[in-house]
Amino acid sequence: MADSFGKISAQSISGMRAQAYRMQVVSENIANIDTHGYRRKLVSFENTYDSTARADLVQVDRVFLDSKPGAELFDPHHPFADENGYVRMSNVNLMTEFADAREANRSYEAGLQVFRQARDMYNSLLDILRR
Amino acid sequence: MKIQTFQAAQTYSAAKSALRTNDANPASAGKAPGETNLSNPTFDSVHALTKAVAQGEQAALSYMTSDADPHSVIEAIAAAELAVETAVTIRDKVVEAYQELIRMPI
Repeated sequence: MADSFGKISAQSISGMRAQAYRMQVVSENIANIDTHGYRRKLVSFENTYDSTARADLVQVDRVFLDSKPGAELFDPHHPFADENGYVRMSNVNLMTEFADAREANRSYEAGLQVFRQARDMYNSLLDILRR
Repeated sequence: MKIQTFQAAQTYSAAKSALRTNDANPASAGKAPGETNLSNPTFDSVHALTKAVAQGEQAALSYMTSDADPHSVIEAIAAAELAVETAVTIRDKVVEAYQELIRMPI
């Protein structure tokens, strides 16, 4: 479909897909919050031109690791402790992940709303013929 | 205006060949003998409709059988729904116009 409604649906769906992937990464970070030495993942998006939909869509550019080191915990009896008795924890902050999850959720809802709005617009256009 | 006796039958057979979705090139699909107006916008829209519905079915099938992306399924089915709604609305309008002509006193 090459009309503007087809493009709108392709664009909003691509945004929803990207936000769902972002949510997946957040869930991965939260799941690994107690994994020693885990570094949280970050997602970046990029604009891309899709030739089948003939529209500018969004896609996941790359997933990279947060370089900030995790907190060190003094626990000499831990099997992962280094020679000084410190254990490297993950650098996941629950507050940051929750904020990220909320943001992904809101952006997803925005995409969903655009999709619905476009369909409503098209249906009201058809209503002219239906009378 | 040239009136052909079997124009209705010819147009019907042309539409029948236009409805074939598995043809790779829709322009070569309806090379029936006689006149077949292949750049006819009606046939083009019928093609777009059947393609959208087939894509929607294909997406639903792949979602059920494999782990396809649900977003793609929704997109394909919504496109098919939109296409069907458009076609039904236009058909209703055409039938209505036809009935208007039928009721005309001669």
